[in-house]
Amino acid sequence: MEAILSSGFEQGLLYSFMVLGVFLAFRVLDFPDLTVDGSLAFGAAMTAMLLTHDVSVWIATLGGVAAGMAAGLTTGVLHMLLKSGQSDATNYGPKLIAGILIMTGLYTMNLRVMGRSNIPLLNEPTVMDRLGDFLSVTMRGWNLVIALAIFTVVVKFALDWFLRTEFGLAMQASGDNEQMIRSLGVNTNFVRVLGLGLANGLVALSGSLVAQNQGFADVGMGIGTIVAGLAGVIIGEVLFGERSIAWVLFSVVGGSIVYRLLIAASLRVGWFEPTDLKLLTALLVIAALAMPTVRRRVVRM
Amino acid sequence: MTRPAGVLLREATKVFFPKTPNEVTALNAIDLHVDPGDFITIIGSNGAGKSTLLNAIAGTYRLSSGSVWLGDQDITGMPEHGRAQLIGRVFQDPRAGTAPSMTIEENLSMALLRGQRRGLRRGVSNARRKHIRGQLEELCMGLEDRMTAEVAKLSGGQRQAISLLMATVSEPRLLMLDEHTAALDPKVAGTIMEITGRIVEDKGLTTLMVTHNMKLALQWGNRLIMMHMGRVVLDLDRAEKSVLGVPDLVRKFHEVAGESLVTDRMLLDEPGLIV
Repeated sequence: MEAILSSGFEQGLLYSFMVLGVFLAFRVLDFPDLTVDGSLAFGAAMTAMLLTHDVSVWIATLGGVAAGMAAGLTTGVLHMLLKSGQSDATNYGPKLIAGILIMTGLYTMNLRVMGRSNIPLLNEPTVMDRLGDFLSVTMRGWNLVIALAIFTVVVKFALDWFLRTEFGLAMQASGDNEQMIRSLGVNTNFVRVLGLGLANGLVALSGSLVAQNQGFADVGMGIGTIVAGLAGVIIGEVLFGERSIAWVLFSVVGGSIVYRLLIAASLRVGWFEPTDLKLLTALLVIAALAMPTVRRRVVRM
Repeated sequence: MTRPAGVLLREATKVFFPKTPNEVTALNAIDLHVDPGDFITIIGSNGAGKSTLLNAIAGTYRLSSGSVWLGDQDITGMPEHGRAQLIGRVFQDPRAGTAPSMTIEENLSMALLRGQRRGLRRGVSNARRKHIRGQLEELCMGLEDRMTAEVAKLSGGQRQAISLLMATVSEPRLLMLDEHTAALDPKVAGTIMEITGRIVEDKGLTTLMVTHNMKLALQWGNRLIMMHMGRVVLDLDRAEKSVLGVPDLVRKFHEVAGESLVTDRMLLDEPGLIV
């Protein structure tokens, strides 16, 4: 039980930045961004490559984040070119295509950056090691969970602050009523590109931290990120509600943790193999998506 | 306070689908001179070019030929978001003018920044909140007590009142209203129209109001223009329109256009109009 809890919290918090990124793209910008499958691994690959070249752990982590941001910015610019002429905000075609194209391209980029499909990091120092040295504790188990929780809260509040600034409000409005905020003089193309950069930076941060924590970066580690991210977002919204932006950002972090706890538990009870997880996740997202409709039907009956 | 601007259209022409069988001349060499502070009501049958006129001024699309001036500035080639700081606009659909999942104070704070650079200062600052509260109080709809409510939770009339405030709160040089009371029930439409009149008068805004309601067109504003087939076919000043009633207006349209002005929607508003 103890093991399920600590590994669920650890994984949930490691991936919470990814879930925040998916939330930012999917909910705030109304952009179902498939780039995240590629940018999670891109963050991991860049960090791993830098670590094996004896770069400091901090710079290696930031390098991973920057790589993800670059990927997001590219998707944003590509979307802008693909949709040129059509200003229909609810046209998801170009959004999906832009994400798929960059995601596919990133697969090769990741192999190029790493030089092979997998880089072990067991002999490299990591952010967790350095932080542990600094605090004179072992960064494992609950110590790691507490450190990650503090960091997550800091990132959550930073995002919260950003979304309430003048620019942040314009970003929220770009996904909510694009025509309106354009009529107030905001170049929504620019805002969207920047937002996608930020979102994928967060996703890559998770990729970088996960790689350092698990001791390797792998070209396949990003597969299914979008679905796992949606699972976190939707579980969070359904369980904890979405009263305000500040609240919903906590909700999706909570959703990320609950999702990983469910996975840890389902592996632990032995009914499922790790290879079953993708299907389970897909079913979980379907169930969570259906929940509001089912609830409405039941209430009506 | 920004000065209200005049508008000048010179041979403004807009052709949709040019050189195809579907070619439509929506605006046909329109010359229109709007004085600063004018409140002009615009009527016309369906497809007369009323909305195209507003869209051309707002920059939703470029003119096929001719030019648009706002004040002493030629804005013919300026992109839509560039004109945004000069022009406030309210549409028929109350959902069009607001961000539904954001709060009243967030929506209005964004509107206060019309056309300005948006930085990393707090969006809903205390100064802005105070200003917004004052503006909401003047609406007399009790919205000043619901400033942190999501706009989606408001009624159509309340949303349209917020849209109107968002269009005018930063005192644009031109206000354009595109049938902005048409989707509301008559009582609410009356309230919104009263608020509109009050705001326009208080701020001395240059205003163009498209409506299909001839009574409104006669009752409000200092000038009335009637459009037909992409042209201005009738242009009445305050004195001329003050002596006219709705039936006179219908007759006038007959004279200049040679066909009936009465459309289904006008009949709904004025059941006695069957000619």
